[in-house]
Amino acid sequence: MQNIALLRLQINNLVTQARHDIFTLSNQDDPSIKQQILQRLWETMSSIHFLSELLANQAMTTLSFPPTQQQSPVDLRNTIQQQIPPITPSRNQTSQQSNQRTFSIEELSNYDGKNGRAAYVAVDDIVYDVTNNRAWAAASHFGLTAGKEYSGEFASCHAGQQSILDSLPVVGRVG
Amino acid sequence: MKPYILPPESMTNEAISSRLTNSALTNIDKGLIKKKNLVYLELNGCSGNIISLLNGQNPDFEYTLNSMVNLRYCNSLMASEGDRAIEKLMNTLDEDFILAVEGAVALKNNGLYNVIGSWEGKPLTGLQAAKMFGERASHILAVGACATHGGISAAKPNPSQSVGLQKVLPQKKMIKLPGCPVHPDWFLGTLAHLLLYGEPETDNMDRPLMFYSSLIHDRCPRRPFFDRGIFAEKLGDKTCLFKLGCRGPVTRVDCPTRQWNGHVNWPIGDDTPCIGCAQFGFPDAMAPFISYDTTKVVKNE
Repeated sequence: MQNIALLRLQINNLVTQARHDIFTLSNQDDPSIKQQILQRLWETMSSIHFLSELLANQAMTTLSFPPTQQQSPVDLRNTIQQQIPPITPSRNQTSQQSNQRTFSIEELSNYDGKNGRAAYVAVDDIVYDVTNNRAWAAASHFGLTAGKEYSGEFASCHAGQQSILDSLPVVGRVG
Repeated sequence: MKPYILPPESMTNEAISSRLTNSALTNIDKGLIKKKNLVYLELNGCSGNIISLLNGQNPDFEYTLNSMVNLRYCNSLMASEGDRAIEKLMNTLDEDFILAVEGAVALKNNGLYNVIGSWEGKPLTGLQAAKMFGERASHILAVGACATHGGISAAKPNPSQSVGLQKVLPQKKMIKLPGCPVHPDWFLGTLAHLLLYGEPETDNMDRPLMFYSSLIHDRCPRRPFFDRGIFAEKLGDKTCLFKLGCRGPVTRVDCPTRQWNGHVNWPIGDDTPCIGCAQFGFPDAMAPFISYDTTKVVKNE
């Protein structure tokens, strides 16, 4: 219940921020400053959108959500450059628990990113989650589709770039 | 109220590109730069890059080409046709010229799948022309997806066996301007830079850094939605188009800040995903352009 209270507080803060920005905007003639305020309004709106989705989710489940930092309305002059930090939800607990899972190639092919399923790919017998990886839009990457084993392809295009794999969430192994 | 101190020059992309082209024109007028010859070959393609270049403004395409370079040959824009046009093309061969090539080089049947004219009673193939002029040009600009890497002409099953220009001129250095089509600024800006300062700085894939250095994803106005995991489910949604198959995260070019059609809008601004047309491997490597089945949950499929 405390989380819901925190979310509500955050939304209220964002709404206050938005009102403040709209007020400033109505008194502002300088087009370059207008542009920056508009950009911040947009970010504020997307945060509100995100939080409301989260609230709706919480109303249905009792998923835990870590409190994020609070924001209070800020004065325009000092903080034009201030960015609203992205709110990244913590990864699903299920995937954290099951990162020792063993997949057969057949099982892996079910995780093709279609119809709301997760998108997994395997490189050197380790299965990675690319569902929300930015290079895997619509669960495809330079003609490759998710749900398969791509050790050869990875070696031919990203040789020596282990850092790419290190940044991906591991969900299990191919066995 | 205190008056604002304005920066001395506008730093928008449009202002920078117009400064570049305008100073090229001024220097030509003063005789500081010699007008160079430009040969624009159109090989196995769709003329899309020419059409796009005609949309250039500030400066417009015709003015730039007439004032910055001597356009010696361009099959779409010149008045001559047939043998007379090819004669003009051949006359430039022994002079100093910049070569711009649009379209891929068709290799099948020794190039006969793409004939661009006839010379001395024989068909002149794109393959012949590309080699002949490519070997002698002072600078080469590969314009558009087909010329840079094969593009749509080389898409599966590639019946004409088309390849990018570099494949038939493996030793020659060339500036590559991928894009389907190329933005007029990318071509005119590179040309002006070539005249003013020589070859522009390029990345390891020969693309000018002044246009091709940032990922679309990194300058996308919808980036806040991506960071928060808010995704569009259909065309027309105002949020991040990632789940529909947006290729902005793998495409390196300045569309989000430059914009198209006189710098007014671009695909994502009109709620359709980026199809990665300025990325090597387009279109095959960027397919599918749109997917709906990633967001829609179908029960009992």
